[in-house]
Amino acid sequence: MQSSEVVIETRSLSKVYRDFWGRQKVRALKALDLEIRRGEIFGLLGPNGSGKTTTVKLVLGLLFPTSGQALVFGRDATDVKKNERIGYLPEESYLYRFLNAEETLDFYGRLFDMPAPLRRQRTADLIEMVGLGWAKRRQLREYSKGMTRRIGLAQALINDPELIVLDEPTTGLDPIGCREMKDLILRLRDEGKTILMCSHLLADVQDVCDRIGILYQGELQELGRVDSLLKVRDTTEIRASGLSEACQAEIRQVIERHGGQVQSIGNPTTTLEELFLHIIRESEAHPGRRVRGGAGNGH
Amino acid sequence: MVIENPLPHFAEWFPAAAVSWLLVAGVLTVAALVLGCLVSVLRYGPGAGLGAALATAFSGVVDVVCMSPRRVAALAWLAVKESIRRRVILVFGLFVVILLFAGWFLDVGSSEPAKLYLSFVLTATTYLVLLLALFLSAFSLPADVKSRTIQTVVTKPVRPSEIVLGRMVGFTIVGTVLLALMSVVSYFFVTRGVGHTHEVLAENLKPAGAAVNGRQPLSGTTESSQGHRHKLYVDASGKGVVESEFGHWHEIETTAWGDKPSFEVGGPEGMFQARVPIYGKLRFRSREGTDVDRGINVGDEWFYRSFIQGGSVAAAIWTFSNLRESQFSEGLPVEMNIEVFRTYKGNIEKGVLGSLSLRNPRTGLIVEVKVFESKDFTPLFIMVPRKITEFSSADVISSKRETPDKGVEFSPPQNLLDRRLAERKEFDLFNDLVADGELEIWIRCLEPSQYFGAGQPDLWLHAADASFELNFFKGYFGIWLQMVLVIAFGVTFSTFLSGPVAMLATVGAMIGGFFSDFLTRLSQHAVLGGGPFEAIIRLVRQENLMTELEPGLRTTAAQMADRVAEAGLWVIAHILPPFTEFNYADWVAYGFDITWDPWIVVPTLRALAFLVPVFVAGCFFLKTREVAQ
Repeated sequence: MQSSEVVIETRSLSKVYRDFWGRQKVRALKALDLEIRRGEIFGLLGPNGSGKTTTVKLVLGLLFPTSGQALVFGRDATDVKKNERIGYLPEESYLYRFLNAEETLDFYGRLFDMPAPLRRQRTADLIEMVGLGWAKRRQLREYSKGMTRRIGLAQALINDPELIVLDEPTTGLDPIGCREMKDLILRLRDEGKTILMCSHLLADVQDVCDRIGILYQGELQELGRVDSLLKVRDTTEIRASGLSEACQAEIRQVIERHGGQVQSIGNPTTTLEELFLHIIRESEAHPGRRVRGGAGNGH
Repeated sequence: MVIENPLPHFAEWFPAAAVSWLLVAGVLTVAALVLGCLVSVLRYGPGAGLGAALATAFSGVVDVVCMSPRRVAALAWLAVKESIRRRVILVFGLFVVILLFAGWFLDVGSSEPAKLYLSFVLTATTYLVLLLALFLSAFSLPADVKSRTIQTVVTKPVRPSEIVLGRMVGFTIVGTVLLALMSVVSYFFVTRGVGHTHEVLAENLKPAGAAVNGRQPLSGTTESSQGHRHKLYVDASGKGVVESEFGHWHEIETTAWGDKPSFEVGGPEGMFQARVPIYGKLRFRSREGTDVDRGINVGDEWFYRSFIQGGSVAAAIWTFSNLRESQFSEGLPVEMNIEVFRTYKGNIEKGVLGSLSLRNPRTGLIVEVKVFESKDFTPLFIMVPRKITEFSSADVISSKRETPDKGVEFSPPQNLLDRRLAERKEFDLFNDLVADGELEIWIRCLEPSQYFGAGQPDLWLHAADASFELNFFKGYFGIWLQMVLVIAFGVTFSTFLSGPVAMLATVGAMIGGFFSDFLTRLSQHAVLGGGPFEAIIRLVRQENLMTELEPGLRTTAAQMADRVAEAGLWVIAHILPPFTEFNYADWVAYGFDITWDPWIVVPTLRALAFLVPVFVAGCFFLKTREVAQ
């Protein structure tokens, strides 16, 4: 699905925060050069204060660069026309809490100049998609954090955008919600949309991103495809089931005979996320029965 | 009613005003562009800075021109929802509570209760609505920036102009609804508050003339109600009239005859009026008999009124134009409100005698039609009949005016005066005294050493009566204009200032606007006591306003600083809207019709002239602001 068309391009993008008197407070971003292509999921990683959110805000035109340029769909980031093709989910779903879900989506639909029938259709579809049909008439002030994230995501998709910018998309979501969010991100990518996301949660990034950039103290430290960046080239991993102790000892001998070094042999562990999801699925399939996780469950 | 700054009519005002507005708008635009370029060059360097500034200016113009009505409506709707959430309806509740308490304190027994009630409701509404507009407009955008909800909005294809206009429109809708509710409640509060009737008891009446068909005409007084009673007369047909007291009268109908007649007295009539005035142009005649622009200064610091000396030929002369016979076929209703300045107390219970004369400016015929007694600021009504048969004196005189070369010019020339004109026993108002629609009304003070003071609007012709209800709502339209201006300033300031600072800035603009007339006079060096620095010296040294300051370095320095300050004050006075111009409370309370031209049309266009640049400024401030910082 990925094409060579560049959707986001930054050229020596820098941002310096200054105080009221114009004195430099912090250099948040230093000469960032980046290209994000159509159809890919790009993840921005980095510790707090590394410049992830600053980059996103510069790309969205919420901040103005001190030097350099950010282009989105070939237009300057401050050009409002580009927003017609963008969906943005901010870090904490900054929404008007005195509106209900329907009013919220209708309001943002009107900001896209969408005619009323289309707005109604999109609103109904998106509320259904994020699973908030039961709470669509409740004011957002009554929503839990997870529900707010869901409606936030719905507003980001109201215009069926080509580029979706997600700031910490799984924050506040329970594991099911996290998985649904990640599945949705992958589905959106499969539909040909471009996604830029930044997150602290490395597992989330690893699960969904095609490429990542790692920022540290405002500088791009690493950039590339996730699979190639994570590949440990001098280590070989063999996974097999049904091996006896004797067989394992024999494999160990074979490795040593070929000059290799066995680092460990044992039963692998799953991720906590996988375990949790497994338990939930089992509980739903067999109500009332205690689910056994861990070794031997065939997972 | 005092009208310090009479407005010219639309046709004579508009061409010059439009040119002046375009000029000021052009100068401000160029100044803003130069300033923007300078800031941008300092920040980004000469090449990139200049390019960025010009690009911003160009896209700003596109933003203003290419607004989407749907987006503006959506943002206005959001502002309305936000206002409802912030419980603006409480302001209406507060207003009702204020009215309930006011009912206890407003004295219906005062001499002009309607004026009192109307002034109160209009003033209370003005303050409440302006405060509401101030809070709504100044805090909304900063709250959005603080809660970061603005980030979700500006990442949609929304232009800054749409955000600013949406806010302005939304708050205006809220304010309008509230103002409409307040006006309706106020109307009923006023009409019910001063509405009353009187009881008429048979024992207070006595026969007045011979009975007709067994029905006896009666006269007497009504019972007291709201602190007054009326003299009344009931004729043989059963219809009665009461004498006007406290600015109103009642109609009376006899419901039973015989030994114990009974009467039904209607509600107050003439209490709520919207009189259509025709104003004349005022000049004075000095003690020497020469026409001058101003009369004597009796030491009043307020130059609004000039004075004429009693017992002399001095007169205050109003020249009326375009009088039509069809308009005044019954006669000439003259209303006036003359200030009396006494140099000795005399009989304080009695007024000072004056006379009213009509003069034909072309023939010079002058007829003294009425001698009246004037108490200070007591309204007087004199109906000059079409056929004038009762008059004190008649003469033919020229008016005299000094020419620029120190000569004297008579009008009409003395050799053309026809003194036979004054020898008649009867004069026709239009045939003898009005010439080509022009008529002069002369007011003289007849008592030596006493003075009459007058300003141009102090004497006028009562041309017609307009609808009081319409006039009342026109009064609220003035409040609406003020509200819209406050909202516009509040929203614009809030595009680049925090909530409390935006509120203070808006309050500053309002106060400056309320005193813009004073600031203009101050900047033109037309205020006694000099400019601000000279005033400080006078305050510290406790010197009065009339004496010249002692010459010296300090005085010179203060006066030079004043010249600079006056230039600044001139600019401030001209970029802030003159809020007092939109205040029609006096018109409604004193019962004068707020005529469409100029009193509605001209202020509305002037408000618009301020709204447009304020809106554009708001758009640019928001456009050049980093909302996520």
